[in-house]
Amino acid sequence: MRDFFLIFTSRINIILKSITTMNAVRIASFIFVIGCFLAGSYYIFFRLFNYLIAVEIIGIALMDRVIEMGFFVFFIMLLFSNIITSFSTFYNDKELYFLFALPVRPTSIYLSKLFENCLYASWATMVIAIPLVVAYGVTTEAGFLFYPLSILSLFIYLIIPAALASVLIFVILRLLPQLKTRDVILLAFGFILGLTFLYIKLNNPTILKVFETESEQELLRFAANLTTVGGGYVPSTWLSNILKGLSVNSSQGIFYFLLLFFVSMSTAIFAFFMAKALYAQSWLLIGEHSSNLSKRKSLLTSFRSGSTKTLLFKDILLFIREPTQWVQLSIFVILLVVYIFSLRRTPIYFTFPLWRTIVSFANFAYICFVLATLGVRFIFPTISLEKSGIWIIGSSPLSFRKIIMIKYFFYVLMAIIIIEGLLIFSNIFIKTDQRIYMLMPLIAFFVAASLVSINLGFGGRFPQFDVDNPSKIAAGSGGIIAALMSIAYVGISILILATPAYHYLATTYLHRPSNYPLIYLSFIGFFVFNIFTIVVPLRIGIKALEKRDF
Amino acid sequence: MKTLVIKNLKKKFGTTWAVRNLNLELEPGEIFVLLGPNGAGKTTTLKLIAGLLHPDEGDVVINGIDTRKNPLEAKSRIGYIPDEPFIYSKLTGREFINFVAGIYNVKHDDYEKKMAELFKRFGVGAWIDGFSEGYSHGMKQKVVMCQLLLHDPQLILIDEPLVGLDPKSSKTVRETFIELKNQGKTLFICTHTLSFAKDIASKIGIINVGEMKFIGNLDELSKISGKRDIEEIYLKLSEESVNETIP
Ligand SMILES: Nc1ncnc2c1ncn2[C@@H]1O[C@H](COP(=O)(O)OP(=O)(O)O)[C@@H](O)[C@H]1O
Ligand SMILES: [Mg+2]
Repeated sequence: MRDFFLIFTSRINIILKSITTMNAVRIASFIFVIGCFLAGSYYIFFRLFNYLIAVEIIGIALMDRVIEMGFFVFFIMLLFSNIITSFSTFYNDKELYFLFALPVRPTSIYLSKLFENCLYASWATMVIAIPLVVAYGVTTEAGFLFYPLSILSLFIYLIIPAALASVLIFVILRLLPQLKTRDVILLAFGFILGLTFLYIKLNNPTILKVFETESEQELLRFAANLTTVGGGYVPSTWLSNILKGLSVNSSQGIFYFLLLFFVSMSTAIFAFFMAKALYAQSWLLIGEHSSNLSKRKSLLTSFRSGSTKTLLFKDILLFIREPTQWVQLSIFVILLVVYIFSLRRTPIYFTFPLWRTIVSFANFAYICFVLATLGVRFIFPTISLEKSGIWIIGSSPLSFRKIIMIKYFFYVLMAIIIIEGLLIFSNIFIKTDQRIYMLMPLIAFFVAASLVSINLGFGGRFPQFDVDNPSKIAAGSGGIIAALMSIAYVGISILILATPAYHYLATTYLHRPSNYPLIYLSFIGFFVFNIFTIVVPLRIGIKALEKRDF
Repeated sequence: MKTLVIKNLKKKFGTTWAVRNLNLELEPGEIFVLLGPNGAGKTTTLKLIAGLLHPDEGDVVINGIDTRKNPLEAKSRIGYIPDEPFIYSKLTGREFINFVAGIYNVKHDDYEKKMAELFKRFGVGAWIDGFSEGYSHGMKQKVVMCQLLLHDPQLILIDEPLVGLDPKSSKTVRETFIELKNQGKTLFICTHTLSFAKDIASKIGIINVGEMKFIGNLDELSKISGKRDIEEIYLKLSEESVNETIP
């Protein structure tokens, strides 16, 4: 145990040091973004719960159902993100060579790595979960003890997916030690996806049907038919029972708290013994495989002339050879496809065209935010990822302007494919009004061009050449600034476009007189704003790289 | 025309001068070896010439091209190998070499033949098609040497070329340097290995605490210091400068 605390405190020290060496602007923008997120999510949950609780008869039951679903989704998300990060933290981290050479027990290394992994995988979920819990407490007018106990439960809850993910990775590597990194992560995902699919099939979450019910009679029947998600055997149900119990001061809250605590500790102890049996051994095996040199054919095995092609091929190769990169992108894409197909039912719920048009605007905004997220995660780190080749690029006759522009056009092309694909399919499903259907792809073109510029430019302005993992680069202070800028860009664009959208709706559906000059003015404003957001960030990035000492 | 002209070069990190008032001129066909203890400013000097660092003052002119006014043109004349030649860990050695040739816009003509020759000379084995994450330091050195010779620069800058090489490879490297010199290339090499300097240098520089203490050939060097053995000369010169800096 002593060596665990030694490793553990040294890790805490590193984190503290990296925070204290950040400059004031970065700390301030960091706090600002997190603060906005916390406040924003709190506000949304608070409004949602207030609305639900006011629904007659079934209000409380509905609210509990929403919470349960929320915690279940968190559980799946946590499992996913723990699996993605656990392979790199437990096996692919250079620090491990140092740690395993120290006279410390492998279980101590495991525990400190588990903590690190849990932190990286869970913080984003916690930023949403904590406001949810607080909003629930405020809505149900819970006592003071509710807040510390339920937030403590959240932290206990985090341990379960983190420990399970590590066990899953250990077991897969033990059973199939020949597997490549890529296959391990794929298998783990297959496993989780299968479980989720089974769960949804068996449980058939009927909660969405509420929108289709009309009369009070039907609502009552619906409320009576609502079943507990997972039938009481999944941790998400216990967690929501803890909240429910604590908010009304019933002993049920304490009971489920103890149950969660017990199960969480048991999972951790189980994972501890699995790690004791498997971790060190499998780490050694993996090390042997990575030094295995085999002949492979690829985009660069034969010579290509021309710097543009070479640079792009290099980027593509590195992307497809890094499982943490393309696996995460695939998950994003799968989730988006699921989202698009879920829109198929929109014309059934919303028969009135005005509502469908509003849904299509909401969908547009949502897709822009998704693209912003993708940009921060995949485009922002691309300059930082040049770190091991920066000496060759910096001393070569290839200018940073050219490098940035090559990357820019490549990523803009990718972004356009993604955003236009999403928009066209979602608008077909929503049955959007013809004119909007034609106009949106044009606007999306600018959104893609601006978001790529922002993330690439700030990626060049705030590169992190000392970090390997692209997720960690994106989660660093520079990445958060890029995220802030991207979100601000989307927000401002939507504000500018809200005017013509409103006027269009008012003219078409409410038969108000139209105000064309205002509509044109807004579009010109949007255009000018985008020229700025395309040119300036790229320039900032290029100038910063040209001035930088390597 | 001189291959390299450095005038009053200065570089500061924070408040400490890493390089102070450096002046140097190198002709085609010269091998310049820069000696100095750890932290003397050797790597900084090389990076300033390679364009990876920006000087605070002074000029670097390569083949008559001012690196400030025309950095890319100047960079196309040089080849640089750092002391720790990192390679993208998920590229193979061969892919890395092709990548560099691509960004230097190397001509296609006898590329494959030249590469095969270089592989043979440096004893590059089947490992060249494995990911570079599994390479030893010496293997990486060989890869970057091949890369450098493929794009055929006029001025070659190498930081600690012998670290991690086995005796046979280091002999090959030595012979290659001599060959390059005979072809009229200019080499600028930083090292701690004194015997290496003695064997191949046509000009020697000794740097300490950012200041060039001496530039000349081996004979001039022994005349100044009154010693014959290069190790004694080196120790004497670098000791003096350390004493000087302690007020
Ligand atoms: N990026 C840097 N930031 C701050 N100081 C540096 C940096 N690079 C080098 N130095 C300092 O400059 C001096 C010269 O370093 P260097 O040129 O690497 O020496 P050498 O290669 O001769 O061992 C040293 O004191 C070193 O600490
Ligand atoms: Mg050095």
